[in-house]
Amino acid sequence: MRAAAIMPAAVPDQLTAGIDVGSATVKVALMRVGDGCGEVLVEGRSERIRRREPEVVAAGLFDDVLGAAGVERKQLDYVATTGEGELVAFRTGHFYGMTTHARGARYLEPGADACIDVGALHARAILMDARAKVLGYRMTSQCASGSGQFLENISRYLGVTMGEIGTLSLKADVPEPCSSICAVLAETDVINMVSRGISTANILKGIHLSMAGRYVKLLNSAGAKHVVLVTGGLAADVGLMAALREHAAESGASFTIRGHEHSALAGAIGAALWGAFRARKIARLGVSLEEASAGA
Amino acid sequence: MLERCEELTRDTSLPSVRAWKERTGGVAIGFLPIYVPRELLHAQGVLPVGLMGGGEIEIIRGDAYYQSYICHLPRSTVELGLNGSLDCLDGMIFPAICDVIRNLSGMWQMMFPAKLVHYLDVPQDFDRSMGGRFYRHELGVLSQKLVEAGARPLDPDALRASIRTYNVHHGLVAELYELRRREPWRVPTAELYVMLRAGLVLPVEEHNGMLGEYLEAVRADESRRPMDQARVLLTGSFCEQPPLGLIKTLERAGCYIVDDDFVQVSRWFRHALPEDGDPVEALVEAFLDDAIPGPTRYVDEGEKGRDLIERVERAGAEGVLFCAPSFCDPALLDQPMGTAAATRAGIPWTAFKYSEDTGQFQVIREQAGTFADSIKLWSEVTTP
Repeated sequence: MRAAAIMPAAVPDQLTAGIDVGSATVKVALMRVGDGCGEVLVEGRSERIRRREPEVVAAGLFDDVLGAAGVERKQLDYVATTGEGELVAFRTGHFYGMTTHARGARYLEPGADACIDVGALHARAILMDARAKVLGYRMTSQCASGSGQFLENISRYLGVTMGEIGTLSLKADVPEPCSSICAVLAETDVINMVSRGISTANILKGIHLSMAGRYVKLLNSAGAKHVVLVTGGLAADVGLMAALREHAAESGASFTIRGHEHSALAGAIGAALWGAFRARKIARLGVSLEEASAGA
Repeated sequence: MLERCEELTRDTSLPSVRAWKERTGGVAIGFLPIYVPRELLHAQGVLPVGLMGGGEIEIIRGDAYYQSYICHLPRSTVELGLNGSLDCLDGMIFPAICDVIRNLSGMWQMMFPAKLVHYLDVPQDFDRSMGGRFYRHELGVLSQKLVEAGARPLDPDALRASIRTYNVHHGLVAELYELRRREPWRVPTAELYVMLRAGLVLPVEEHNGMLGEYLEAVRADESRRPMDQARVLLTGSFCEQPPLGLIKTLERAGCYIVDDDFVQVSRWFRHALPEDGDPVEALVEAFLDDAIPGPTRYVDEGEKGRDLIERVERAGAEGVLFCAPSFCDPALLDQPMGTAAATRAGIPWTAFKYSEDTGQFQVIREQAGTFADSIKLWSEVTTP
């Protein structure tokens, strides 16, 4: 997988890692970046936190990824964290989530002018330029009704797994509208729907459409025009992706919704790529990280 | 040591002051930010106790004394006074910072008539024959009031000895700041901050020992390693202090704070004071000629912001965080001049406000995080 390098540099290839610590999942990406190889995803994995210390999960997954790639920690030029990764003590540097998702999105979908990061706790529509510089953003409010956590709660009520949600939703014939404002009201809606005998598929599709409606509004408000990549864990939900495309088409949006098999890793990939960028920038200055940190 | 410093910062009931009074039977006098001549108090046997508000304490009665558009520090100070936290103090000094603190000194006189209450007026004319004469007189009045509160009379030799002790302190604090400027990963600002705050409630001799011990420990600590963070100067937090959580948030978000305005009483003068000659004159001259510029000190109109740019250059900072308390007139009225100067000099900056009891840092975290990212990624032109 390659994308256009955004910095010229007469420096050796960089091997960097990105660690994206989310509220539910940790993602790690190992990237090789250089003039000869471009930008290559060497290895990438994600792991649910499941009531463990996020730092511990991050360290374990990080070592697993390095092990799978046959790489030792000392070979890395930069370990970049994002999300809640500022708690990871062995990092070289930390980047903010929007910065890394924008970069990861441009890597996975070089034509994207926007991405929407749909995570466990919130969704963010991010507008960026060709260098992956964030130009603007819009975010869901504090209510959890637009988040993966909400969908996970609903799946538990309905007795289906997260993996089944997407395919079930695609089978819906008469989607049942659901509150898009409040997670509590939406959950009450779902209980009513179940008691009224609405099929699981139609309930799920209704929820997907309600979430998709919020995301399309965010994207329009952020100014997305052309190609939008869905990043974050929910990009793997085929039902949500279909609902997003339907909503975008119905609302007359000018952008196209895209997904990618590595969408969940976008933050980690972006962090690793920005890490490589910084490593090369510091190398170009001819100083060590220590000297750079000392303001040399 | 850091745990103790953090506890001393957090515990507004002043346990270290109470212990000192029990041990020595001496006079302890509280003072508000920014500057009081601690050498003078020390020479008269007084323990100067720096008060920086109430932090996160619940305000019940303090709110009744101030309108909602007044900063948080005076209302929390009133709360501390009324809830008995400051009972161990024999008096209070209110330095000339702003109208709110001036009014607080008047209120304090009415609330605590049996205690020493002194409004320390300071010159804004830095001519010796005017401002110098005035300030010398002010110091004399303060000294006399201290005697009336139970302190011993001022003796020139004792004042020279106190100046020597505080010069040691000044040197250690300068060393700490210089080490952080050069190797910010060795001295996290959250640590530096609690070290300085602890010094406000401890005898200077004890604090000198702690500073020396801390410097030695961090220099020897090989586990402290550099990270790729943006070097920033933080300004505006000279009176009401930010919560410790905010400082930690800024550092975690990717900023190395390499210069700041915290606890300025420890760094009010650029240089050590002369240790011989007339010691009162040494205090006066230092105040006139050697004090650091700031919003509470008169600066000619055309020169506003120049000091900020010089500080940025000296610190090797890559950006400025304008971090002021909500409703702080001195900080917020000066801020436009600072931001304009930074913009003219091409220095990236961002601004936000806090209150000493701010408990949610998510918005500031995002702002500081994106600011640090923008410095690290976009501070130079990159070729697409």
